[in-house]
Amino acid sequence: MSDHDRTNGHRFRAELPAEVTAPPSAAEETPGERTPAALTGRQRLVKGLWPPRVTRAQLIVALLLFGLGFGLAVQVASNSDGDSALRGARQEDLVRILDELDDRTQRLEDEKQGLEKQRGELENSSDQAEEARKQTVEKERQLGVLAGTVAAQGPGITMTVQDTKGRVEADMLLDAVQELRAAGAEAIQVNGVRVVAGTFLTDSGDTVSVDGNKINAPYRFKVIGKPQDLEPALNIPGGVVQTLEKELATVTVERSSKIVVDALRAAERPDYARSSSR
Amino acid sequence: MIAVLGLVVGVVAGLLVRPEVPAAVEPYLPIAVVAALDAVFGGLRAMLDGIFDDKVFVVSFLSNVVVAALIVFLGDKLGVGAQLSTGVVVVLGIRIFSNAAAIRRHVFRA
Repeated sequence: MSDHDRTNGHRFRAELPAEVTAPPSAAEETPGERTPAALTGRQRLVKGLWPPRVTRAQLIVALLLFGLGFGLAVQVASNSDGDSALRGARQEDLVRILDELDDRTQRLEDEKQGLEKQRGELENSSDQAEEARKQTVEKERQLGVLAGTVAAQGPGITMTVQDTKGRVEADMLLDAVQELRAAGAEAIQVNGVRVVAGTFLTDSGDTVSVDGNKINAPYRFKVIGKPQDLEPALNIPGGVVQTLEKELATVTVERSSKIVVDALRAAERPDYARSSSR
Repeated sequence: MIAVLGLVVGVVAGLLVRPEVPAAVEPYLPIAVVAALDAVFGGLRAMLDGIFDDKVFVVSFLSNVVVAALIVFLGDKLGVGAQLSTGVVVVLGIRIFSNAAAIRRHVFRA
């Protein structure tokens, strides 16, 4: 099929099996005369390879084959370079690759935005949860002060009732507690017993019981609240102090910028009352 | 023998020198190599047929290379370079296969 085939009429010899050329060579080999036409292809190949002859034709073909081998090696080397996978690519291929990369970048960008939005929402909600938790803790402390489950400190007064005659009774102390509450007392303790919403005072012989705990004179009230309100509330004419002094008790009231109410009371679950707010 | 030596020396030189292929020639080099391979197989077959002629070989070798490169160049200008170079490679491949079949019949008689 190459150009050599058209130079003469041997064109069909290649299509035929080798037996066509073999018989004449076998027949003519006995006389010993070696005409090129009588040789088989294989013999011609061997003759061409060995012995080497330096002819013009051989040199020219060698030059051309040198060029072929050179080009082949260069192409293979530049193709297997790896770092230049795009170097041999055509313009349209490069454009297509660029388009694909753009699409991919766009898709990844969209995904990134979605994820960032999600992250923002999650951070927001966790911030809200944290805020709610803080508020809950704060509220628990405030309620704990009222319920007597946590210690409290702040400005307030100390009232000491010296009852040498033993004539002070529970209702007088209760009046004192009521008066203090009316004046805005926020935390009260009497001789180490915290006064809360359910506190009751009873007489027991010469002394007084607070929530079933006997306490002895002198009765020391530690009260947290605004001292400027609490002290006048106790000292008003006909009020707590005067009533107690009528019973020959000595009452001293001291203002203080720091009162510590550290008597505690266990949090108790009510037996019957349930929150109806939910 | 000298011709085979030329091929071997060419491959070795190409591997050792590793020249940078100019960008302008780059798309044509692989096609030119395939076209030259086709010419070499044609020449080998002609030699086995006993009709080898060095002048014909030189002309066919060079014209094969030039025409193949020209077709690819034209294809690039027309915007169908990829398809046209594929076509050239297919045609040359078919020719190489048929030449190789003829050579095989000569060498192995099968």
